[in-house]
Amino acid sequence: MKAWIEAMGCHLCVATPEGVPSVVLGRYAEVRGDDEVAFALAADEVGVIAPVIAENPRVAFGVSRQGGIRAAYQFKGAGEILRSGDLFDAVAAQAKEEKGIDAAAVLHVRLTELYCTKPGYEAGQRLDGMTPDELNVWERQRWKDVPRKRD
Amino acid sequence: MVKFTKEMKEALRVPGKGGSLIYLCTSSRDGKPNIAAMRFVATHMDDKILIADMFLLKTKANIKENPNVAVTICHPLDEGRWWVFRGKAVDMEYGFPRDFDWYGANATDILNEWGNWNKAEPPDEVPPDIVFPKAVQRGVVVVHVEEVYSIKPGHTGEKIL
Repeated sequence: MKAWIEAMGCHLCVATPEGVPSVVLGRYAEVRGDDEVAFALAADEVGVIAPVIAENPRVAFGVSRQGGIRAAYQFKGAGEILRSGDLFDAVAAQAKEEKGIDAAAVLHVRLTELYCTKPGYEAGQRLDGMTPDELNVWERQRWKDVPRKRD
Repeated sequence: MVKFTKEMKEALRVPGKGGSLIYLCTSSRDGKPNIAAMRFVATHMDDKILIADMFLLKTKANIKENPNVAVTICHPLDEGRWWVFRGKAVDMEYGFPRDFDWYGANATDILNEWGNWNKAEPPDEVPPDIVFPKAVQRGVVVVHVEEVYSIKPGHTGEKIL
């Protein structure tokens, strides 16, 4: 799961308090612990979601590219836009080095919900009630082609 | 008024026919977003996106209380498919009045043509460990697209249509 997020990046979905959704790409993603992900965003990308997050911090995201089907999860949480500080500096530097992204901001998401989106009987199943170890076992039973797995 | 380009129509098809895996983004009425990947996609007229209702849960609940949605390409992105289609959706389920109309899209026409999608366009390209054993379709989501913006890096947010 972590490897897919970092290898493919994510599609980030936000919504106004009135429920109008917007999407941008989180091309550089860095998983920081078991329940936090940071995305480096260029000026044009943060320009779309920053005004929305200022009013409504809720964020949902799924893995981009092949990850949309091979890593069939939906992540939900609360997002914060960071334009300075240690976390911004670290993520922005790595995004520049790995993907050439000039980060204007970092979207830091603290995850609160996790869902399976695999088509079939498990679609929509909520998974964040599992411990990280249980979730790891659950994932490994279903997915064998995990890219750049670090652990 | 939106009019899809030829490239958009080619992209908004099932992956096995040169189309795309898409993300359908919805929201509850009070702004809780939801994003889910969809395989069964097509266009209708010049400004409608059709998506099969097979395994929709939160997406369906959201559409029933809030029609505002966004559709974007999940994969493949690198073929210039950097679009977000924003508009209003309805889930035309079986049981809808046959003369139901959604911005010019008729329920009878939609369900007759796309109501048994898994049989018409089976997911032959989907890997065997992912493909679902039996797909039961409950309806067709019809998205009336009102605007299109870019998510191409460096151009995100720019209005296209």
